[in-house]
Amino acid sequence: MKTKTVAMIIPIFLILGLALVACGPEAPKTIKVGVNAPITGDIPKVGEGSKFAAQMWLADVNAAGGLDVGGKKYKVELVIEDNESKAESAVKANTKMITEDEVLVIVGPQSSKQAVPAGEVANNYATPMISPWSTNPATTQDRPFVFRACFLDPFQGPVVANFVKDEFGFTKAAVLYDVASDYPKGLAEFFKAAWEELNGPGSVVSYESFTTKDADFSSQLTNIINSGAEFIFTPQYYNEVALIVQQAHQLGWDKPIVGSDSWGSAETVQLCGKDCYGLFFSTHYAAAGAKGATKEFIDRYNKEHGYIPDDVGALTWDALGLVQQAIQDCGAITGDIKKDRQCVRDSLARVKQFDGITGQMTFNETGDPEKCAVIVRISEQGEFEFYKSVCP
Amino acid sequence: MEATGSPQIAAKIGIRNRLREFFSDVPILGWLAGAVAAVLLEQLIGLRLAWLLGLPKIPVLFGFTIILKKPVLMPSAMVYVLLIYALPLGIVARLCAAPANRLAGKLIDVSMPGAVLLHLLLLYAVLHIWASISDYRYLTLNLTLIFVIVTLSLNVINGYMGDFSCSHPGFIALGAYTSSVFSLGLFANDTMFGEALLPAVLGPFLFPIGLVLGGFVAALGALVVAIPSFRTRGDYLAIISLAFMFIVKSLFENLEFVGGPRGLAGQPNWANLPTVFIWTVVCIWVINNFVRSTIGKALNAVRDEETAANAMTVNTRRTKILAFMFAAFWAGVAGGLFAHVIRYVNPAMFGIQQLAEVLAMVYFGGLNSVYGSIVGALSLNLLSEMLRPLELFKWIVIPLLLILVMIFRPTGLIAFKEFNVKKVIQPKRKEV
Repeated sequence: MKTKTVAMIIPIFLILGLALVACGPEAPKTIKVGVNAPITGDIPKVGEGSKFAAQMWLADVNAAGGLDVGGKKYKVELVIEDNESKAESAVKANTKMITEDEVLVIVGPQSSKQAVPAGEVANNYATPMISPWSTNPATTQDRPFVFRACFLDPFQGPVVANFVKDEFGFTKAAVLYDVASDYPKGLAEFFKAAWEELNGPGSVVSYESFTTKDADFSSQLTNIINSGAEFIFTPQYYNEVALIVQQAHQLGWDKPIVGSDSWGSAETVQLCGKDCYGLFFSTHYAAAGAKGATKEFIDRYNKEHGYIPDDVGALTWDALGLVQQAIQDCGAITGDIKKDRQCVRDSLARVKQFDGITGQMTFNETGDPEKCAVIVRISEQGEFEFYKSVCP
Repeated sequence: MEATGSPQIAAKIGIRNRLREFFSDVPILGWLAGAVAAVLLEQLIGLRLAWLLGLPKIPVLFGFTIILKKPVLMPSAMVYVLLIYALPLGIVARLCAAPANRLAGKLIDVSMPGAVLLHLLLLYAVLHIWASISDYRYLTLNLTLIFVIVTLSLNVINGYMGDFSCSHPGFIALGAYTSSVFSLGLFANDTMFGEALLPAVLGPFLFPIGLVLGGFVAALGALVVAIPSFRTRGDYLAIISLAFMFIVKSLFENLEFVGGPRGLAGQPNWANLPTVFIWTVVCIWVINNFVRSTIGKALNAVRDEETAANAMTVNTRRTKILAFMFAAFWAGVAGGLFAHVIRYVNPAMFGIQQLAEVLAMVYFGGLNSVYGSIVGALSLNLLSEMLRPLELFKWIVIPLLLILVMIFRPTGLIAFKEFNVKKVIQPKRKEV
């Protein structure tokens, strides 16, 4: 018994000795960029789009032999974490990437319900974070380290209202939205306010709502048709858009239906088919008829993954472009992660007129970009055609 | 020893038996001492050892994440776990066995509460030192402990009472929102509730009041479900309670003063590890006493045969409502803690997905057992973090595990086992 115990203790002391002699690894030559994306859960397509865009960006950087910062080439490593489309998981993923993987900067999460709590974590650890897709003002509010790559709902609401007024000269609007979901509800409210400012109180003649995962909208649509509205504004996601538009047409609605950036998914036309041809929506970029860098990105994405990228993919691409520029503007990577993060944050805040594929961006003091919105028309071929650009 | 199979298998069984024999007289106190030694060792030389073994950092969750991300580092990670956790734990536990046995015996003779307190202090020390290595561990541990409370409280209904309730996310939501409104309204300058009414210094001290308030609101919610639904049992209760969960979710989505679907953000950071640990311990203690009391026994009687229980003078209606409200109270407290750890609440968080997770923890761990709930919550929470690098395949591995457990142990890993504190901490002497 005794010899056994002794035999077990000796290796421990040996290792203790060895460990004390050992020295740490050298200063890292790689730059780590975290991606917090909903790869599983409710919206896996969004996660996939972000992941693909990030991998394409990484391939570009690697093809150039690494990221050139102040004359030195650094290898870039992506840390992609799945947030399961859950708030607590997004918080865990951010904490893990910041404290364990020691990423320099984080791109994501996409939805506001993950970006708001995850932004709190990033800000507490003084790590810059860019959410490509989150539109909730709380994401960046009072958080100097958190930025976003998309425009906000208070901007998009009036854009749509002004567009319809100028284009069709309508005075009576109907709104149909999901009351249980953060994004449609917020946008519906901003649109209503903007429309009533243009056309006077009471000009939104019908303001109908439903709850997430509802599939039958006939009662709301009947109300809308009876109200005498001249068009419907419905800021919904692709699966609901198809149902709403088809059911409206079945009930005899033949006037325009207008949407918002949540329509901008490849699935919209696939699910909706001919019913959606000729409709308008506001979004971040138009895939059909795109030029320059935007076209290049779309063609490449289409070639590699077999479908036209959603706006999430494009916005993630832009967020990574912003990250790249901010790191390069920094001038030097010191290896002291705290200093580098601060430096990246400061140069992000200084970004002026960044030429992204979703338009030109300049960050304001809250970390939100000032950028133009695009009005897209769904063509007779089912493509998203550029129609008009609206700038702040 | 009889060699029934091949010599190799026999040798394996031999080693396992010998190991069990070798550690058979180590009391819990000895194991805790070993764990303290292991985490202290990690604190002292963990990082250097990790570097020496070619690992970039200390393996955060027993090396699982590293192994799954870079399989090449598997031997290093395993050596690390062996050297830092397994060996020190085993050696110190073995060496301390005799004095620990004596100490445990003496402590129990002198004062039982004192002995329990010492064990808890040691346990807290282990968790604290282990979590201090990384904030990711800290967060994971905090959330895991909160889920221990949730699982345990659901086990009171689904295990001890034998009903199938689906309203737990609703109770958690009620608790989370109530305590969030409490702390945001009173102690924070918030856009929703205006200026702080009380100085922020008082906050952490009054925080328990907010949690208990959340618990009471959840219990009130439970009463609302209980009164109409306890005339029915089985499937009907499941449906009514599921409806309640959706009602609560809808309610918060439509209540503008708590942010509607946008949710509430910016809760103060009060749910730190000591707070969560204390609440978890109190919860385990209270629930353990509850289920072993006459009401607990009455609950079991109701589960086994309600009519017979009624005939034996058990007031079944009162018992069921009481247990339901009691479980809801703890779910509400857990919700309050949860809201202050994540520091954000949103109605969509408390939906069918959370229900599925909590139910899985209860049935995985084991029905009708405090042990089972602790094991279920710990293992599923840690597992889902450890398997994080698998992404989509995680959702194949974990359900598969659940199915296997259901096949081989239909009532869960550790079901129908009483949690007796005295038995746990008493010294283990070899009978000579």
